[in-house]
Amino acid sequence: MIGTGLSHGGERGRAVAKRLSAARFRLLAGAVLAAAALALPLRAAAAAPDPMTIVKATVDKFVGILTDPALKSDVSARRQRLKDTAAERFDFAEMGRSALGVHWRDLSDQQRKDFVDLFTRFVEAAYISRLESYSGQQIDFVKETNDGPDYAQVNTNVIQPGADPIGLNYRLKLEGNDWKVYDVTVDNISIVANYRNQFNRVINDRGFDALMSDMRAKQEGLDTSIAK
Amino acid sequence: MKRLLMTLALVWGILISPAVQAQPAPGLAENPPGTNPEEGAGMTETDPLAAFNTKMFWFNRKLDDYFLHPVATGYAKVVPQPARRSVGRFIDNVSVIPRFANNLFQLRLKQAATEAARFGINTTVGLAGLFDPADKWFGLKENRDDFGLTLGRYSVPSGPYLVLPFFGPSTIRDAVGRVADGAMNPMSYLLPWNITIPATAGEYLADAINYRSLNLNLFEDVDRFSIDVYGAVQDGYTQRRAAAQRTVNTDSLLPKSQTP
Repeated sequence: MIGTGLSHGGERGRAVAKRLSAARFRLLAGAVLAAAALALPLRAAAAAPDPMTIVKATVDKFVGILTDPALKSDVSARRQRLKDTAAERFDFAEMGRSALGVHWRDLSDQQRKDFVDLFTRFVEAAYISRLESYSGQQIDFVKETNDGPDYAQVNTNVIQPGADPIGLNYRLKLEGNDWKVYDVTVDNISIVANYRNQFNRVINDRGFDALMSDMRAKQEGLDTSIAK
Repeated sequence: MKRLLMTLALVWGILISPAVQAQPAPGLAENPPGTNPEEGAGMTETDPLAAFNTKMFWFNRKLDDYFLHPVATGYAKVVPQPARRSVGRFIDNVSVIPRFANNLFQLRLKQAATEAARFGINTTVGLAGLFDPADKWFGLKENRDDFGLTLGRYSVPSGPYLVLPFFGPSTIRDAVGRVADGAMNPMSYLLPWNITIPATAGEYLADAINYRSLNLNLFEDVDRFSIDVYGAVQDGYTQRRAAAQRTVNTDSLLPKSQTP
């Protein structure tokens, strides 16, 4: 009796186990599906890592290019690599539009396009000539602050031996799924705001065309000085 | 003419307080993070004194071209950089009083205490201020401060942008602040004016040359990357001061209603 009971119990047990396992399986399948469903937005979020990681990746890339011995002799290849890396992370069009301030709305579409093109080349040239003076300075990532879901700032310090560190902060905006830098502050001076004051003065004094020709001259000067 | 120039020099001598530059330590001043670029789009700086300022800006540039930069370059060739940094620290250390007093005026008690401690440590262990063990060993950082920022903390508006001959960018309020900071120099009470004024002027000059020698590319860099140098300097000064004021207002233990 005991044995049959046991065997019976065993059969029941197996049956229960079978049902249980079926239930478990359904549960598991449900869980997997739920996880997959959950993972969809999670994966979307994972496509935009935190701003600090993103800035660090870009800075590491710059340092990698600048310290690559193979690129040391090939200046133009190195410049192209720097330009490409900058274009991935910096929204030059947004910077230019913002730097024009109130004057943007007075421009025709063609003028806006010309301005953004020239401004991009000018800022690239300025940025690259700054980068090329890099000589192994240590860069400390200080902190990241968020302002709402779409805006963030990453603070870094450039440590230079025998001088005070330079505070270099990146301001980022979430565009689609990607963080883009729309402004940089150097020792608490916003570069975009600084150009806005310059551009405003030139436009008010001498007009938009004068600004364009001044900027073109500056950009060409920077380009030749880098090429050297 | 010569007399006028001398009088002018004397007047500016009184206004002198060495290198009262409000430069917050990087990362200390809180920028409002991620401010929407749209917000600032309409912001432009006003400059009602532009006619005067442009002339003074030009004058200062010439002064730099023909005097300060060549002298600083020569000085940098003769004196090695660590020594020049020590000179800068020495001058900084002796001008502790305005920093301490303004920190106190603003009820930045921790910062005032830090300044006092820094002075004590650096004057003794730091060999009369030539070195900065207060920062290096104890992590006590300098808290730059001036009377212009104190006025700002008590809601005095900065007034128009003003370029001072010899001293460069300022505002009406910050120029008044300079006079006040200069008057806090204890030397002006202990010694007769005919010693104090040349001595203060000499100190300012030494500091200016020393500072320039440590920043020989200062203007060259601004020139290289600017479309309009005057506008770049004006905005740079304004933004830096705003950041310094934010630091002061954050630290200050005065009731918040005082904040502009």
